[in-house]
Amino acid sequence: MEQFFTNSEQVQNIIKGFNLTKTLFVSSIIIGKPHTGKKSLARYLFPEAPIVSGEDQEAVEELLKEADELIITDFEKLRNQESLNLDNKRVIATANYMGNQQTIDNLFAFIYMLPPLKERPDDTAFIRDIFIAEARSNLMLDTLDFSVEEIPVNLSDNSKTLKRSIYQYLVNLSMDARDIEEAVYHYILKNLDGNNGYKEYLGLYEKPLIRAGLEKFGSQLQLSQVLGINRNTLRKKINEHHID
Amino acid sequence: MNTTSIEQINFQSFIDWDNSPFILFSAQGKILYLNNSAEILFGYVSKKELYDLALAYAPQSFGHKTTTLALNYDSFSFYAITVGYENEDQISIRFYNTPRTKSVTPLERDKLVTTNINLLLEANITLFKTKNSNPLQLLTDPDIPSFKIDQNSFSKLLRKTLDAFRASDSINITLKLLVGEHVIIGGKKKPIVQLAVKANGRYSDADEEIRTLATQSHITPLLKERSIRLEIPLIRD
Repeated sequence: MEQFFTNSEQVQNIIKGFNLTKTLFVSSIIIGKPHTGKKSLARYLFPEAPIVSGEDQEAVEELLKEADELIITDFEKLRNQESLNLDNKRVIATANYMGNQQTIDNLFAFIYMLPPLKERPDDTAFIRDIFIAEARSNLMLDTLDFSVEEIPVNLSDNSKTLKRSIYQYLVNLSMDARDIEEAVYHYILKNLDGNNGYKEYLGLYEKPLIRAGLEKFGSQLQLSQVLGINRNTLRKKINEHHID
Repeated sequence: MNTTSIEQINFQSFIDWDNSPFILFSAQGKILYLNNSAEILFGYVSKKELYDLALAYAPQSFGHKTTTLALNYDSFSFYAITVGYENEDQISIRFYNTPRTKSVTPLERDKLVTTNINLLLEANITLFKTKNSNPLQLLTDPDIPSFKIDQNSFSKLLRKTLDAFRASDSINITLKLLVGEHVIIGGKKKPIVQLAVKANGRYSDADEEIRTLATQSHITPLLKERSIRLEIPLIRD
């Protein structure tokens, strides 16, 4: 069975509303940004209901004739919304955006708005931990040591970018010298051009070297000794690469 | 055959049971007589207001005068009044009930499903709470029996009704069976369930839609400045 976790009051109210109307023949729609969990929520609440995408207009019409209960995903992609008859059926639709408000208003008895992950910090933490466990297993990084709080979380496209930022961070963290060489090799192979290549791509090596060095050793004086270069040379490079 | 002269007939009981409110005031504005229907009317309007109304529409000299006007007191609606006086001591006022328009839409029985109305109300309040944080009080009668409702359109009606109170403080919702009141649908008497939502004020932007949705479902909507009441027929067969 589909699992759905939430600690957000707003989402819990949506679940409560659905649970109250579960046995009734009413039409409901969940509207929210992409990758906020609309489909998971619908499947979690109505595990038995057949699912059809709004992209396939014929399939929707067919299923509406046959079934008393159904889930229509991507409702915004359905072109013949106005002509649908959702009366006396248990229809649960999901949509990325409202579209024509009047039409939605006429079709659906219950219109729920699913808030984005940005507004659901507890839910984000929960999903993040799921993705971390999944990434650890997929990337075979069971022994990798890191702090969860350090992962820069990108929620601009909700769970999609959240997942990507976790995988990216873990891959970066687990690379050894060979992997890095390989990554630089592919990058340069793709981009090398012009007549100043050596200087242009030197930054790939110098910038992370100085940034990490400063972080680790604190002062420029100390870092210059560790790197075995002159203090003035180091300062020049810091300016060159705009490192604060 | 016995003949009865008109003077011997006691007309009072005919007035007592007249469906139109009738009140007789003294010159000081005291009630000398009122019929049953007027008694109910006084539940919604003050004595002074009706007395002032009688004075304002009184004929210039002794006699009776009927004025056409639109009067609304709660669910009472009148289209005319007759004010009359035959001496300096008494003045009478009689109200004419506006005929209720008969709904022409037939009952769509195949859409009616036996439903616990409290469930639909609860679900709609929950939906309201996902969007608004206004304090809300609900007083409901859990003993109202399940009855036949077009669930989808009734839910829409509830959503629109509650939405009218999206910015109101202290929203008060009551659901009860109106004792002794009936509505006639398809030639049969049906009890009435009343849903009343009250607050310190409300939006009226969706009033037209509320009226349309309600009428479609044979529900009488009473839209006031600070409240909406829905009189829902309790259909069980």
